[in-house]
Amino acid sequence: MKIFFFTGKGGVGKSTIAAAAAWQLSQDSRVLIESLDPAHNLGDIFNVTLTDRKTRFTDNLYLKEVDLQKLSRDYLKREIDVLSGTYRYLQALNLDNYFSVLKYSPGIEEYALLTSIEDTIRSETEFDYIIFDTPPTGLTLRFLALPKVTITWIDRLIQIRKRILEKRYTIQKIRGVENAGIVLSYDEQDDDVLKRLQSLKYNYVSLSAILEGRDCTVALVFNPDILSLRESQRLIDGLRELNLPLRLMVNNKVTDENGKMADEVETIMRDYLKDTTPMERVRFSPSLIEGKERHLFDISENIASKLIEQCI
Amino acid sequence: MHIMHRENAAALTIVEMEELENIFSLLLLGSFVGFPSPPTFLAVELLPFMEKELKILHKRAEDSSDMLAELCGTLGID
Repeated sequence: MKIFFFTGKGGVGKSTIAAAAAWQLSQDSRVLIESLDPAHNLGDIFNVTLTDRKTRFTDNLYLKEVDLQKLSRDYLKREIDVLSGTYRYLQALNLDNYFSVLKYSPGIEEYALLTSIEDTIRSETEFDYIIFDTPPTGLTLRFLALPKVTITWIDRLIQIRKRILEKRYTIQKIRGVENAGIVLSYDEQDDDVLKRLQSLKYNYVSLSAILEGRDCTVALVFNPDILSLRESQRLIDGLRELNLPLRLMVNNKVTDENGKMADEVETIMRDYLKDTTPMERVRFSPSLIEGKERHLFDISENIASKLIEQCI
Repeated sequence: MHIMHRENAAALTIVEMEELENIFSLLLLGSFVGFPSPPTFLAVELLPFMEKELKILHKRAEDSSDMLAELCGTLGID
């Protein structure tokens, strides 16, 4: 299974290019395309109404739009259930529903987004390709950075936790069994906090490995203009820092008028990249604005073959 | 008598442990008191198991105005 992320500044045509790639790939493989953008337009491109459940478009192509709010709610509901279970006595006083205030915690959206990607990668294994259409740069970089940041934090916390358990062990030994009183967990196998930390770490390390691995490809979509060039450069830096594999550049909406600009932007981009990441050009398709019967996802440039070349 | 000796011997380690637990909870739950903190969800994730740590955090916050007395108590200075 191969995973593709389509990234880029808002409005450059990420969704359209991702949809086109999905359509082309689905001609001879099974493809799932999932939109992570809170402002979805995947449904508009395929002219269907989508939900957070995958919807069949053709036998080989399934579509899905993630509902970020619902994801955050579901995630917090799970946590609040655990919390209410631990503090069951609060139910007697009807105080347990006060935990629901947690749904306003900052940072939950990125986490919910990452969880959704993880779920998709782990559960939708029957597809040959999974394509993610990402939200605009800022949010994308933040949730892609999340596994790394989290691992660093978890490592530190595990370190402290282990020292606490050592101290508890010492105290337990000094006090002796007969005078123990309340025994706090001191064994690494018994401590719920440490166990949870370690399972979280395991989870993120494996997710990180998938994202940085050979099966994952990030494609960057840009337009022949200065703003998208600048933002793309920042995105390139961000991806490098996170060690994520950028393997395809798509210069979208090139016309006869901006052809010279397109050349210039590509040259600057090439210098900036300092490597041989292939650069694909997609022409702005005038038939779309003339309102002819033509699907938005049906473009003449072959994005799929470039993607496949990159991930062998 | 026996028990008292043992408690004395354990006392300093207990203080050390509580301090570590305090630091642990402060790092984890710092965002709730305005500390730069790990991703919030990590706090949410571990919150269900943190009852004791939260109590210590609370106690430390209450005692923090009189750290000198606390220290004297710990070292057995009268």
